[in-house]
Amino acid sequence: MKIIKPIILLFIITFSFELYSQESNRIVSTIQDLVLDVDESFVASSVTMDDNDNEVSCNNMIYYSRNREALNVDNETGEITANLPGFYTVVAICIQEGGNRLRKDFSVKVNYPPVNEIKISLINNVLYTDSYIPLTFEVIYEKGFIRNDVKFNLTSSNDLISIDNLNNVKAITSGKSTLTAEFEGITSSIVLNIKKNPVSYIELKSNSDEARTGDVFQFKAVAYDKKNVVIGDAPIKFSFTGKSFDKSNTASGLIEKDGRFVGDVAGQYIITSNVGNISASKIVNVIDRNIKRKFKSIGVGTVNDKHTSDFWVFEGVDGRDYAVSGTWGADGTTYFWDVTNPSNMIRIDSIQVDARTVNDVKVSEDGKICVISREGASNRKNGIIIIDVTNPYDVSIISEYTQNLTGGVHNVFIYENHVYALSNGEKYYVINIDDPKNPKEIGKFELGKPGQSIHDVWIEDGIAYSSNWRNGVYLVDVGNGIANGSPSNPVAFANYNYASGAHHATFPYKSKSTGKFYTVLGDEIFPNGIDVKGQNVTAGFLHFVDFTDLDNPVEVARYELPGDGSHNYWIEGDVLYVAMYTGGVRVVDLSGDLMGDLYKQGREIGYILSGSENAYVPNSTMSWGAQLYKGHVFYSDWNSGIGSAKLEPIKPDKTKASIN
Amino acid sequence: MKNIYLIIILLLLNSKIIFSQDYYAYVAAESEDEVSLIKFDGVDGVELEKIPVGIWPAENEGPHGLTVDPNGKFWYLTLAHGNPYGTLFKFSTTTNKVVGKTLLGLFPASMQISETTGLLYCVNFNLHGDMKPSTVSVVDPETMTEIKQIQTGSMPHGSRISSDGLYHYSVAMMSDELFEIDAVSLKVTRVLKLSDNINLMNDKMDHSNMNHTKKTHTKVKPTWVIPHPSNNKLYVAANGSNEIIEVDVDSWKITEKFKTGKGPYNIEISPNGKLLVVTYKNDGSTAIWDIALKKELKVIKNKRNVSHGVAISSDSKYAFISVEGVGGEPGTVDIINLETLKLISSVNIGKQAGGIAFWKISH
Repeated sequence: MKIIKPIILLFIITFSFELYSQESNRIVSTIQDLVLDVDESFVASSVTMDDNDNEVSCNNMIYYSRNREALNVDNETGEITANLPGFYTVVAICIQEGGNRLRKDFSVKVNYPPVNEIKISLINNVLYTDSYIPLTFEVIYEKGFIRNDVKFNLTSSNDLISIDNLNNVKAITSGKSTLTAEFEGITSSIVLNIKKNPVSYIELKSNSDEARTGDVFQFKAVAYDKKNVVIGDAPIKFSFTGKSFDKSNTASGLIEKDGRFVGDVAGQYIITSNVGNISASKIVNVIDRNIKRKFKSIGVGTVNDKHTSDFWVFEGVDGRDYAVSGTWGADGTTYFWDVTNPSNMIRIDSIQVDARTVNDVKVSEDGKICVISREGASNRKNGIIIIDVTNPYDVSIISEYTQNLTGGVHNVFIYENHVYALSNGEKYYVINIDDPKNPKEIGKFELGKPGQSIHDVWIEDGIAYSSNWRNGVYLVDVGNGIANGSPSNPVAFANYNYASGAHHATFPYKSKSTGKFYTVLGDEIFPNGIDVKGQNVTAGFLHFVDFTDLDNPVEVARYELPGDGSHNYWIEGDVLYVAMYTGGVRVVDLSGDLMGDLYKQGREIGYILSGSENAYVPNSTMSWGAQLYKGHVFYSDWNSGIGSAKLEPIKPDKTKASIN
Repeated sequence: MKNIYLIIILLLLNSKIIFSQDYYAYVAAESEDEVSLIKFDGVDGVELEKIPVGIWPAENEGPHGLTVDPNGKFWYLTLAHGNPYGTLFKFSTTTNKVVGKTLLGLFPASMQISETTGLLYCVNFNLHGDMKPSTVSVVDPETMTEIKQIQTGSMPHGSRISSDGLYHYSVAMMSDELFEIDAVSLKVTRVLKLSDNINLMNDKMDHSNMNHTKKTHTKVKPTWVIPHPSNNKLYVAANGSNEIIEVDVDSWKITEKFKTGKGPYNIEISPNGKLLVVTYKNDGSTAIWDIALKKELKVIKNKRNVSHGVAISSDSKYAFISVEGVGGEPGTVDIINLETLKLISSVNIGKQAGGIAFWKISH
């Protein structure tokens, strides 16, 4: 009996606790279904509730927004401030005694401010019957927010125009018609003055009837009225159809609004120019470019116990030819080679530094100084190493420089006794090496944006081409004078970026055949990550940006190898030598105007696969970089070391195709 | 009767199998961009799995900090280098596959999850460039959202959370400061200057927006701090002055300093609160201290140079030490028996073994 009493007592206490001391199990907050206007603030009030719907206060509540820029939340007070319109999530976490936590997500809507204005713009004021009318629409809200992605309700004052389901507007009959766009109760109208199409006929000419794939035809169309008078402002449009000579292939090409056309595939193409329902056509033949040449491997310098990174070939002070190559994810070794005989490249010396990756190597113009980059140093100081290569058979370290470079140096460039060294992928420093024993930092370049990032810098004619991933290429005056810049005062004067944000390298290129100036911007993409000891998948391509007008750069062409991604490259004499990682080293004809997809156009002259059986990863091509030097194409391969190759001489051109 | 004896004999013979325990730890190889899962059976350690990590494969991204969440279901990794910001990754311990990620600050390093708030607190080391105040990122690991960056000192490195989960402690290597952050209010509550023992702030002030660390003081170079699991002391590794500094949490004052070998770097305290294990980075050794006796019990030479991180098994029996090595050398995990104070096993992993976290004991 003595033992029964305490058991009963314990049962009563436990039962009572269960019955009367319910724990809270959910958060209830005034954030629920919250709708705010932009710039409006709201202070959340939240409690927890138990199973019996009794309120239990929470002493330790943490709030946060899943989009801090758009919707700011004070973690402690729960004050919510709306910055941008949209739908957001606020998370409330109640930390209870004993370490228990309750959490709940709350959706918050931030309204767009009232619509202030709908802006309708005509791209071209000349409106003829039977033509689509080029219009743009914008909704402008109070507080300055702008949207052009809304579906307007479009109506017209009469049936002179037609409006399809996608809000395309077509002129049908001449006269005045008022087009009205409505959104959220705000309307805006534009009067369209449609004229009867005065064009009687179009005269269409081209600079050639036949050209090779990749060559750019220039079409010129002139519209005339019934009296054979030229209508100078006629909105002429160009289009094309085509049929490949090869029945199993598809004709393709690109035509621009200025009448330039390029065919990718050999075939017959019909180019049409039209104004409304008046058109003229012309047929042109596109024939094979027929530029294939033998591209033969000449020699290899095998590195089969570690990955190879970048390389540089240079003429030594003794007049012989040498190369230096780095190593990746290894032991900090840099190799020096005698490549005077490209078919018998001899490893002549090496240097090992405290690093895991020597990603980049460069040699000064006089062949005396080599600079290598360091990443993964055991003391995390990284920086650069300056090496005396006056005798490449017996190189020696002159100095180590780590100031402001501790985050790792991924790429370097030497230009007129200055080293341009990347720092932590954020910026580059300019280091004077007049006295290579005592390098001195004299300048730096950075974008000054949050999250600024950089992958490479390349210098020509006093202009540094800075490759800044999603921010694209920056052209920086470091002594050219175009923007009063200098090594100690780099000044950016032009920029171009593109959507993928994968911009990792730049090569400036002035076309010998056209005089146009391009920057060739390379992507670097590994869609599936990297397998250091196996086969890899690579992606990305080269973007050709016409920088002839520095203020208005235009991306005009690409070199994209299906299935293989781009890495480092070299351009000389209107020929591109590009390491396409898994696609090997490719040689591409850049002669003439550049437009469209250069690979599809058959501009590839030849290629080699740089993998080998005797490699760190056998039979796995991973071409890293290419450099044309004294008639040979030198390259490095991530898995096998360095190598050389040579293009055989040009065969006589029997196609007889030309553009006048 | 014979059968019973036979069963007993068989059981005794198989006692190793029946009663053996396996210990598991994750270790980051900073220059290999991979994480290794180590298994130790009480005698030998082996590398069970190499887990490649990173975003930009051709770059050295430097996996640096590692932690396992309190329930052991996920492990977290900081990638030091980014574009330019570093990234926090969340991996499943079941599959060792990424299940979430979020951007943090520059060079995110050490981190820990508070058992009380459930939030993850990670210092942004910002090792590179000008010395300026950096931050501690606070992340909700459930949604992998960075909630806030709290400004602290210059190059915050080592960090740990109090056993009650309510305070986060970190040390700023290049401003010689110890920071205390309220894990709930997410504000700096106290700062202690370690080089001259000047208390910069009282308990109430919020100096998080003050640029008080412009001048760099690198005498002490604190690289780690850890609160004792059961008393009110903090232990700081003073990498520059070769000391362990004891700080009283209540009075917020330095109470004692212990001279150490060269370059004390990371510290861990055994869960039973008795031993303090500290790596001497510059000596390539690991020391075991008796906290109650305030005495260095033994210094053990590591298998390689550049001793880095410490993780201790939850039963307080073994310490797992990451040792970086130099250049092309592999990284190594040295396993020390904390009862015999002997190095009993070493496991080679990828280059520059750094961040290390104990996962579990499996019976």
